[in-house]
Amino acid sequence: MRTSPLRRTPLAISALAAIGVAFIVVPIAALLIRAPWSHLIDQLSSTGAWTALRLSLEVSLAAAALSLVLGTPVAWVLARSSIRGRSLLRAIVILPLVLPPVVGGVALLTALGRSGVVGRWLDAAGVQLTFTIWGAMVATTFVSIPLVILAAEAGLRSMDPRLEGAAAAMGASRAYVLRRVTLPLLRPQLAAGVVLAWARALGEFGATITFAGNLAGRTQTLPLAVYQTRQTDPGAAILISLLLVALSLVVLVAMRDRIFAR
Amino acid sequence: MRSKRLLVMAICGSLLLAACSSDDSSGDGDGSPSAPAVELTVFAASSLTAAFTQIGTDFEAANAGTTVTFNFGSSGDLAASIESEGTADVFASASGTYMDEVSDKVGVTGRADFVQNKLVIITPPDNPANITSLEDLANPGVQVVLAAEGVPVGDYARQALDSAGLTDAVMANVVSNEEDDASVVAKITAGEADAAIVYVSDVTSAVAPDVHAVEIPDDVNVIVTYPIAVVTGTSHTEAAQAFVDYVTGSQGQETLAEFGFLPPPST
Repeated sequence: MRTSPLRRTPLAISALAAIGVAFIVVPIAALLIRAPWSHLIDQLSSTGAWTALRLSLEVSLAAAALSLVLGTPVAWVLARSSIRGRSLLRAIVILPLVLPPVVGGVALLTALGRSGVVGRWLDAAGVQLTFTIWGAMVATTFVSIPLVILAAEAGLRSMDPRLEGAAAAMGASRAYVLRRVTLPLLRPQLAAGVVLAWARALGEFGATITFAGNLAGRTQTLPLAVYQTRQTDPGAAILISLLLVALSLVVLVAMRDRIFAR
Repeated sequence: MRSKRLLVMAICGSLLLAACSSDDSSGDGDGSPSAPAVELTVFAASSLTAAFTQIGTDFEAANAGTTVTFNFGSSGDLAASIESEGTADVFASASGTYMDEVSDKVGVTGRADFVQNKLVIITPPDNPANITSLEDLANPGVQVVLAAEGVPVGDYARQALDSAGLTDAVMANVVSNEEDDASVVAKITAGEADAAIVYVSDVTSAVAPDVHAVEIPDDVNVIVTYPIAVVTGTSHTEAAQAFVDYVTGSQGQETLAEFGFLPPPST
């Protein structure tokens, strides 16, 4: 079967595919070629890359978890309720996906900053998000939550409603159906959504630096460390970039079956 | 058959693209003064944004056919991109160091110091942390924002704190290292931080109503000299030199003074 002429990839597609792959591989390979490998360990330590790595992991994992917990119910409402203006609501909650992240940062600052619309009340209560790791988590969640919403809504829509109906007909409570039927069926999509959200949060730059600021050890995640190190030490910036590339690649490869689950 | 046609189309397409781009570069060719349209690319420190935007408009009005495009950013970034991409006709740096760097690696002509700048403390208009001097930045709980290390204004601010013997105490209060002075100013006008150190030129007429300025005495202040020069390899040498002359000339100097810059050191 595999060698039948029908399965052979046409030359034009192969050629364009090769260009497409090169488009992505060449810049990454350039980082590998130009990286000052001989100074690998001391460059990474002296620029505080390990601290940034730890912060990046904490912030991105928190963002993925928050996106899952808050995004799934939103998807539920979009897929199953019949509230008015549902398509407008969908467009609004997906907005962070297409907005420039810096716009998200400015919006968050206007809403949740120290003198923001909501933030002034938080400030009065002694809660400050700007310049804190909590602010970085809020900023990254803002940009990654749409990925969970999209994935979960697609999953809920493609689910066979008869399965839940059958469980309910046999006397299962709503909570039991949710826990034992709906969520297990939804798992592949939720996993895909949460991994993409995590990867997105890991690479977040604009919203984070605008809303949470940039301070090593507090809000400086890996992308911010790359940006700042580039000012003083371009070689070290390449090494930190590669750290981010490696991390993202591990996440995506480890989860490849989840993302492309049929 | 169909795949072949696709391939042919793809090849034609890429040839067309290649043709376009080669056209572009040859069209730019040599900018003789008689050439009707000159597009000048000026790389300038972000602290010059407001003043140079005005100067660009004035210069275009005085030189029909010349358009000036600015790329504002941190001087270090600009120097690096001039070295690797060589796309600038004129470079105006907030620090002599980065001009030296470009001068060494790419080459410059007509270099001149054109303004001086110094540092000032800014706070939100209501001055929530009650800052009246540089020493007050060290008070516990004051949220200070600086430009990052490697950004000239960030380095100068650290230098001023160092000469005032305040480095350790103030650095402990720093909540964010911003990418350039515009971002530092934005954090203060938004009321997010209590105090920041920027250039006096950052307190433009647009910014002034939203900040409160506190002077830094000259003995600890850093007086910065900005150099400007034509970048070697430009295809518009004459227009580029004309722009440099305009900036160092009386009209340019007048505009720069309006935007809070100090005159260059007399030689």
